[in-house]
Amino acid sequence: MTAAVTIDRLNKYYGTYHALQDVSLTVAEGEKVVICGPSGSGKSTLIRCINRLEEHQSGTIDVLGTVLDDNTAHIDHVRREVGMVFQNFNLFPHMTILENCALAPMLVRKVSRREAEATAMQYLERVRIPEQALKYPGELSGGQQQRVAIARSLCMKPRIMLFDEPTSALDPEMISEVLDVMVGLAQDGMTMICVTHEMGFARQVADKVVFMDHGRILETGTPAQFFGNPQHERTRNFLSQILAH
Amino acid sequence: MADIPLVSPQPGIDRLARLRRSLFPTPLSGLVSLAGIALALWIGWALLQWVVVQAVFTGSAEDCRAASGACWAVVTARWRLMFFGLYPYEEHWRSALACFVLVATIVLSCLPVFWTALRIAVLWVASAALFLLLMRGGLFGLSLVGEEKWGGLTLSIFIFAGTALFGMPLAIALALLRRSTLPLVSKLAGGFIDTVRSLPLVTILFTVAVLLPILAPGLSGTKLMRVIFGMAIFFAAYQAEILRSGIQSLPVGQEEAAKALGLGYWQRMRKVILPQAFRRALPPTVSQFAISFKEVSLVIIIGIFDFLASGNAAYGSGEWAFAYVEVYVFMAFVNFIFVFSLSRYGAYLERRMRVGK
Amino acid sequence: MLPTRKRKAFLIQTVLGLLLLIGGALLIRAILQSLEGQGISSGFGFLHRSTGWDVGFSLIEYTINDPYWKVILVGVLNTLFLGSIGLVLATVLGVLIGVLRTSANPVMAFLGTCYIEAIRNVPLILQAFFWYAVFTHLPPPKVAAEAGGIIILSSRGIFVPGLNVVPGAGLLAGGLLLAGLVLALILALWPGRNLRARELLPLMSRGALLGGIGLAVAVLLLARTPGETFLQFAELKGLNFRGGIRVSPEFAALLTAMSLYGGAFLGEIIRAGFMSVSRGQIEAAQALGLGGWQVFSRVRLPLALRAVLPTLTNQYVWLLKATTLGIAVGFSDFFLVISTAINQSGQTLELILILMGGFLIINNLLAAIMNFINRRIALRGSQLRI
Repeated sequence: MTAAVTIDRLNKYYGTYHALQDVSLTVAEGEKVVICGPSGSGKSTLIRCINRLEEHQSGTIDVLGTVLDDNTAHIDHVRREVGMVFQNFNLFPHMTILENCALAPMLVRKVSRREAEATAMQYLERVRIPEQALKYPGELSGGQQQRVAIARSLCMKPRIMLFDEPTSALDPEMISEVLDVMVGLAQDGMTMICVTHEMGFARQVADKVVFMDHGRILETGTPAQFFGNPQHERTRNFLSQILAH
Repeated sequence: MADIPLVSPQPGIDRLARLRRSLFPTPLSGLVSLAGIALALWIGWALLQWVVVQAVFTGSAEDCRAASGACWAVVTARWRLMFFGLYPYEEHWRSALACFVLVATIVLSCLPVFWTALRIAVLWVASAALFLLLMRGGLFGLSLVGEEKWGGLTLSIFIFAGTALFGMPLAIALALLRRSTLPLVSKLAGGFIDTVRSLPLVTILFTVAVLLPILAPGLSGTKLMRVIFGMAIFFAAYQAEILRSGIQSLPVGQEEAAKALGLGYWQRMRKVILPQAFRRALPPTVSQFAISFKEVSLVIIIGIFDFLASGNAAYGSGEWAFAYVEVYVFMAFVNFIFVFSLSRYGAYLERRMRVGK
Repeated sequence: MLPTRKRKAFLIQTVLGLLLLIGGALLIRAILQSLEGQGISSGFGFLHRSTGWDVGFSLIEYTINDPYWKVILVGVLNTLFLGSIGLVLATVLGVLIGVLRTSANPVMAFLGTCYIEAIRNVPLILQAFFWYAVFTHLPPPKVAAEAGGIIILSSRGIFVPGLNVVPGAGLLAGGLLLAGLVLALILALWPGRNLRARELLPLMSRGALLGGIGLAVAVLLLARTPGETFLQFAELKGLNFRGGIRVSPEFAALLTAMSLYGGAFLGEIIRAGFMSVSRGQIEAAQALGLGGWQVFSRVRLPLALRAVLPTLTNQYVWLLKATTLGIAVGFSDFFLVISTAINQSGQTLELILILMGGFLIINNLLAAIMNFINRRIALRGSQLRI
């Protein structure tokens, strides 16, 4: 298996705050990694470094053979191949669902409008909301918006998908519709890195679970190891808190 | 387990480096920065040359023509005209003192000490009386100087002060009337406010100054009074809306609590609602004053010999005709000082209030 | 029997209403009497009398023999013409300043701040006077400042290239262009009730826009004067320039002052708009691989403008009212025309009513259009928080 993302001794500061400390992580192509940890542990920062929404100060990030540095061409290249789904969906409120999905393929991949819209419809069908295509994001429920956000990322035909707490802003009854889509995506062999607290999802699809705390990776393992026999005190605390309810 | 240090110095980042990063994050943006710095320096240098280095500060029009910089000599020669208009030359000290009284009143009004209805009213009425005494004279051995001779910056500031003095009570009245529970009263007040707000100030000035005497010769005072009246109405229409939104931003509980305590309408307004509404509306009120100050310049259109008009006269006469840029720059500068200080003060209040909450 | 409080309220309002009616009637009677005393008959009949005086600038054919209603129309058109060009220029400048002010680059932000503070703290009328003085002190035609022979700055006015077309064609083309633009805007904002409509409306909107442009170009091409070049440059003939379009110093001064001043205010508003765009939207666009300009033009700018549309409306209405400064430099806007008409005809009351009514209509129309746009856009919602 070839590596999709290789992170080596990554350090990230906000001013003097040391947000990521010597983080190293390798994600193979087709692998599904779930990152969890208490809030403020740096997990979101880590995946935001992978498509350079955050700049890192030292260490290297290699995404599909491209090393992320100040070179904007490298950043553009990586962003084209890496899709991202946000906690707050971040759909563009001034565009219809279809326009949201077709925008990036047209602008970045220079696909014709007809083709981009056809692809968009295909992915909207896949997330099971083709009938909403001409509505605006404001007319949709949160779960629907998040599924659109996933479809929008998929329209760029990314090789890696990043999920930054995709279900945290959702009402409980809407979480499963989004998770179903993510499970389907995993079954199709997409390389996925997910920051999430959905441990059921982690058990079901993850190849690897990563536990972070205070800007460091404390523990990495398969779901069986991680849930069955956590090594660290902090991991055990975290798991008992999150699984309690 | 040992705690992991969360705060540690980021290697190689000091102030200089941070500046470099913000100015030159990428080569392209670095280029833009350089061009911007060059532009700023060039403008600054050219301005410095024109304003100071090559400028002529005193002398005749001929001296100015010989130099390549600004001709401030026109200001030196004509500043009395610009500040005092056609006020008698020997009495200029009175106009200057009167102007100072008003400016001092405006500055004092910015001090929280004066922020009670009684104190601010006494301050303004007293200083208006003092102004009139100084300017008009006719008492205590001061010779009488008619309104038609008033002019220049003093007159502009007087119109501004008059606008504030009459406009503010009018604004309070309009705001309260618009919030009246009687539908006819609130509709009428609302209609009046909205109509005035959708008309240009120039048309209102024109109506009160030029047309009122033609239309109804019986009920018109002097031209200056009518102008102040027009300005005050215009100011009040805008200020009333500011006050109304100040009142509306108060929690409903305030008025209800006052009612429950058995306070009557005027007591509620005077003691509970208006003081709080004024505090909340203070920053937009100050910026409304700044706007109003700028709008005073419009009185030139109806033939009032204000600062702008006397400035036009200062370069309009033959020998200084070429120095129009300097005159306008000077007038712009004087206006800038007033308006900029007011708007900075408003911004300061807004910041302070945000912190205070 | 009504409860006492209600009865009291009813009484107060009745008395107030009666007092106002009586007061109004007395005032109008006093005015009418005073006008009669000056030998002026009231009524709107004078609108059909010919004026006997000329205006400095007119978009339509106008002579001193034309009636009053026509000169008022000239004024209204001039106000709208100056106002709309001023609004467009001020908006473009405002976006530029807003971008500068929110730039991450401190030098750019500083330049933007300097501009805003220098411009907006000085009264607009002073700036109009300044530019008028500048444009009337330009060098005489023989030594006029030129920009490649295309734009000529001289004491006789500013000359820009014109088109060799039949008179009136320019106006017609402008009208067609405007009609296309308005139609396109309406179609783009029309509520699409079903999927089919939502598919068709944007296409129709684009069609209307292109149709308007196409028709305008077609009119100009058809109306070109035979045997002459399409573009017409101003040339020095004797003591003055011939050909091209002359922009009078009055118009140029007002337009410059309005655009610069409006730009500073709109810049501050648009800056607030940029600040209100959530980081998440921008990050989402970046994560999709959009480049800097694409993120700006497709996400930041549209979202910023949406956020500040109501504030923008107020500023637009304000700027339109500022055209009344025409009287300061002698540009024949609505207000100047009315005040000249009052001086010439003495029909004070009628003309004042026309003036106020005109401004009420124009401003409320503009506000209504902007509010319509705002409502249409707001309906599409900001992002629903579940």
